[in-house]
Amino acid sequence: MSKTLAYYPGCSLHGTSAEFDASFRASARALDLTLLEIPGWDCCGNTAAHSINRLLATALPVNELAKVEQDMKLDAVAVPCAACYSRFKTGAHDVEDLETAADVTAVVGRAYGGGVAVQNLIDVYHDAVGLEELAAKVTRPFNGLKVACYYGCLLTRPPKVTLAEDPEYPTHMDDVVKAIGCEPVDWNYKTDCCGASLALTEQGIVDDLVTRILNDAKACGADAVAVACPLCQVNLDGRQTEILRKRSDWQTIPVIFLSQLVGRAVGVGDKELGLKKHLVDITAVMA
Amino acid sequence: MATCTVSPLLAENVGAGCGENAYKCYQCKRCTSGCPVAIYADMHPAMIMRAVQLGQLDMVFDCKFIWLCTGCETCTTRCPQGIDIAAIMDELKIIARRDGHIPAGTPSAAMLKLNYDSFVRWGRMWEVELITRDVLKRPTSVKSWLSLGPKMMLKGKINPTLKRGNTLAMKRMVQTAERITSARMQQQAAEAAPAATHSADAGGES
Repeated sequence: MSKTLAYYPGCSLHGTSAEFDASFRASARALDLTLLEIPGWDCCGNTAAHSINRLLATALPVNELAKVEQDMKLDAVAVPCAACYSRFKTGAHDVEDLETAADVTAVVGRAYGGGVAVQNLIDVYHDAVGLEELAAKVTRPFNGLKVACYYGCLLTRPPKVTLAEDPEYPTHMDDVVKAIGCEPVDWNYKTDCCGASLALTEQGIVDDLVTRILNDAKACGADAVAVACPLCQVNLDGRQTEILRKRSDWQTIPVIFLSQLVGRAVGVGDKELGLKKHLVDITAVMA
Repeated sequence: MATCTVSPLLAENVGAGCGENAYKCYQCKRCTSGCPVAIYADMHPAMIMRAVQLGQLDMVFDCKFIWLCTGCETCTTRCPQGIDIAAIMDELKIIARRDGHIPAGTPSAAMLKLNYDSFVRWGRMWEVELITRDVLKRPTSVKSWLSLGPKMMLKGKINPTLKRGNTLAMKRMVQTAERITSARMQQQAAEAAPAATHSADAGGES
């Protein structure tokens, strides 16, 4: 049975992470999910709005949720960017407070009724599609590829907003990669911050954080790192070329979007998966 | 001789802005032990919380820490008192910007504003504009761009075209939000006790 979800790509998926957008859309198509992009969507406010104007930061995602609820008449929106997802969940959480809701309604121009479920990339595969359904649609399973599932900060934190079952050691992405034939590794840095928000201003700190995360993934036996956030991907992938300049003995590790892994397993072609877009080559592990 | 500027209203202002009660902190330092950037800064989250309680404006706003905070929410997740510490860090950034307390040479603060201006202008954040304006403002940043930028461009990772959102809706929302926020600020200032800030000589202790 085909399901329909509203789709909010966000600025990154139209910019540096076009392969995330393409592979997500293609995997959804293969999994009988219909994605309807929110017409004329605006930025969710990203990391800037909540440290400059709190009310605007709440209103921007709620405006998109009101469109999904009242214009598109859908009850769920897929928000694959983890940073956008966090802003959507926080916005929906914050308007449960009546005073905040009144201000947000004034900014948005209409009241949001709270009827839209916000789903991140993992939720889409784990819950909207379902693990059994996903496993049944796999035509090109991975042959036990060892994957370190990296959740980063905002998919699970803060739990009062995300309602994540285990914010310190989540397992839903591990379940998804298992369903497509990968072997998730048990590792320590699943939810440690990679510092992506400092990537343009504090590269030294970011290189330290990235090195620590990837070294643990490698030490725990991973052949690749799976991510569900465009900022984590650009950071963990891109900084490796810089780390290599500082440390010639650095062993690179591919950093792959979960949507690319799932897409490959359900038969999406290489071009749509965007396999050539990565700075650390992923074609060998995706072959 | 160093001076120490205190404002007994700092914690109250933080609370009025983000709804969090900084006085609930009892210095267990779980926030600090989980913080990914604490070791790179002159202060750490628990120190900031104490300084907020004591109204130590200089300690809070002269340090690098609040601008290094990545917003990873680990502190908020682990605080045994349920304080949303990351929201307090955000509120301190808001207050610092509003009251002119951003230390010179804080690239992260400038970057946040460039980012904000970009999506306010176009309805969506335009990465190419962000990078260009950053380099114009901070020519030293060109070095870090030259290392990674060309490689990303070769891979087609950088999309030079601008895709606008609904700029009219964005403009309307920004104006309304800024109007409501400044009205709330004036209301808050009127309710607060007058002349609450004073400077005292702290004999180099600041």
